[in-house]
Amino acid sequence: MKTAAQAELQSIHHASVLTGPARFRTELSILFRIQFAIVRDSWVWIVLMATMFPLTTLLFMRFFVENPTRETMIQMIAGNMIFGLLVMGLNAMAQEISWQKHDGHFTFYASLPISKLNFVIAILLRGLMSTLPSFALLSIIGQWMYDIQFHFSWALPLVAILSLASVVGIGVCMGFWSPNHQLTNMLAQALMMLITFLSPVMVQLDQLPLPVQWISYLLPTTYAAEALRGALLTGWTHDVMVNCIVLLGFAIVSITATLKLVQWRITR
Amino acid sequence: MNHLIYEIDQVSHEYKGKGRTKGKVKANDNISFDIPAGEILGVLGPNGAGKSTLIKQMVGLLKPTAGEVRFDGMNIAQQTKRAATLVAYYAQEPHAISALKVHEALSFTGRLRGVPKAEAERQANELLEQFEMGSFRDKLLKQLSGGQKRMIGIGTVLIGHSPVLILDEPTNELDPRNRRLVWDLINQRNREGATVILVTHNVLEAEQVVHRVAVINHGKLLAIDSVAKLKQQVDPRLKFELLTSIGKRDEMEAILARFGTALVLAENRLLLLADKRDASELLDFITTHPELPILEYSIKPSSLEDVYFHIDNAAQSEVIGV
Repeated sequence: MKTAAQAELQSIHHASVLTGPARFRTELSILFRIQFAIVRDSWVWIVLMATMFPLTTLLFMRFFVENPTRETMIQMIAGNMIFGLLVMGLNAMAQEISWQKHDGHFTFYASLPISKLNFVIAILLRGLMSTLPSFALLSIIGQWMYDIQFHFSWALPLVAILSLASVVGIGVCMGFWSPNHQLTNMLAQALMMLITFLSPVMVQLDQLPLPVQWISYLLPTTYAAEALRGALLTGWTHDVMVNCIVLLGFAIVSITATLKLVQWRITR
Repeated sequence: MNHLIYEIDQVSHEYKGKGRTKGKVKANDNISFDIPAGEILGVLGPNGAGKSTLIKQMVGLLKPTAGEVRFDGMNIAQQTKRAATLVAYYAQEPHAISALKVHEALSFTGRLRGVPKAEAERQANELLEQFEMGSFRDKLLKQLSGGQKRMIGIGTVLIGHSPVLILDEPTNELDPRNRRLVWDLINQRNREGATVILVTHNVLEAEQVVHRVAVINHGKLLAIDSVAKLKQQVDPRLKFELLTSIGKRDEMEAILARFGTALVLAENRLLLLADKRDASELLDFITTHPELPILEYSIKPSSLEDVYFHIDNAAQSEVIGV
């Protein structure tokens, strides 16, 4: 039987507290608005950072490659769109979350009665918000610069979302794993460069040495670049579908790993 | 007996040391005490004493390596979400929400605690009025001063009227007016039924609000009792603090030696520890001898600060075997 004080403890709180699906929706929307405020606060830098590196590379390639074919042009544009994705989704997200983790930001969330899943979804949405502008911007600039027209189909947004989610998932995962901020900084920057230039992002898979090809199969960017090239050239094909399924797998694995890595409240 | 909100039962936490402290390091060691509903408990101790580890165990963010924290009669590990619903915890400045506007920071935290939108906004406005920060309502939190941010941080704990409040160093960086306001608000919430756990270095101010004090150092609970009972453990002698004319301190020390032990505080400042039975005679002596080079004097009872140092010194002596 509950004592009067226990009953009081319950009643004080439950008198005016939301529960059920309404609570879930509120939680997700508030967490999203907090993450949106973070992006809103620095959107100029986000767009600049994410666009500057790939745009420079795209310009360099434009001057470097003489009379490129349509396939080569799309490969270069798609590669640089993935590069932009790596700059923000992997490099910046990993570093930012690592810094927030070591600065104790997440204690604020963990001490509130919110679900870890909602928190992780909100963080991933922030990653998508940070990467989407440069992704779109580079596709527009790329078309204009090379004077070509992409094949627009319903496959494109699907490929874009899955590409963003799989790379952002790994960036978020690295941030929450971070044993210390310096290590995460170095690792995120090294990975960004290695993946961009030593995996089939800017070039085709068969142009790379065999050991590098094997490693490339472990990276979501290999499938993202392949799917993006296919979708931009011809739209939805069997190969694009296979790559999308692999990207979905990467997104699910990285979200599951993130849920394990986020230090939340203790369990029994 | 009051219902127990917290039962800390032989709680310890060990972690692997790094560098020179290789091996297992105890952050806290076999700590046991209870907190009844409606109490304001002060947790005192120096930096690195193990206070924050204990608090993290109490809010379900850190699992004890031994022992159990029971919240409302049940192991907290089995009900962390319920505990997070009922316990509002303030650890530091609200960096995580610094990109929000001030009123958003308060009302969003309230809504994440489960308070409906309209009520959360009403409470946010009420808190801003109490803090006299209504004009900062639409400013970004990161644009405020350190003290103002801290006030909003305290607001994020107060919003939602949680029945248990845990505040870690709530008055750091605050000006005297805001410190007073925070202590008043803590008292007010306690009168409304909230149980409050206060981690603080500000021993003198905490004395005004706490019902009981837990003194922690070296990961151990050194003492827990009411302020009055703890004060009885301290040197029972009365303290006369005397301000002498410059260059006359030695002379005064010699004259007053018969009343008790004189300690030199500064060039012209003496602390005389006198037995209570000699106190009136000493006071008579000072008041009837206006020619003495005493510029100012005061009689001070033991404070919570004395209690804290007394307990900590006793524990240090025990550790080094003195």
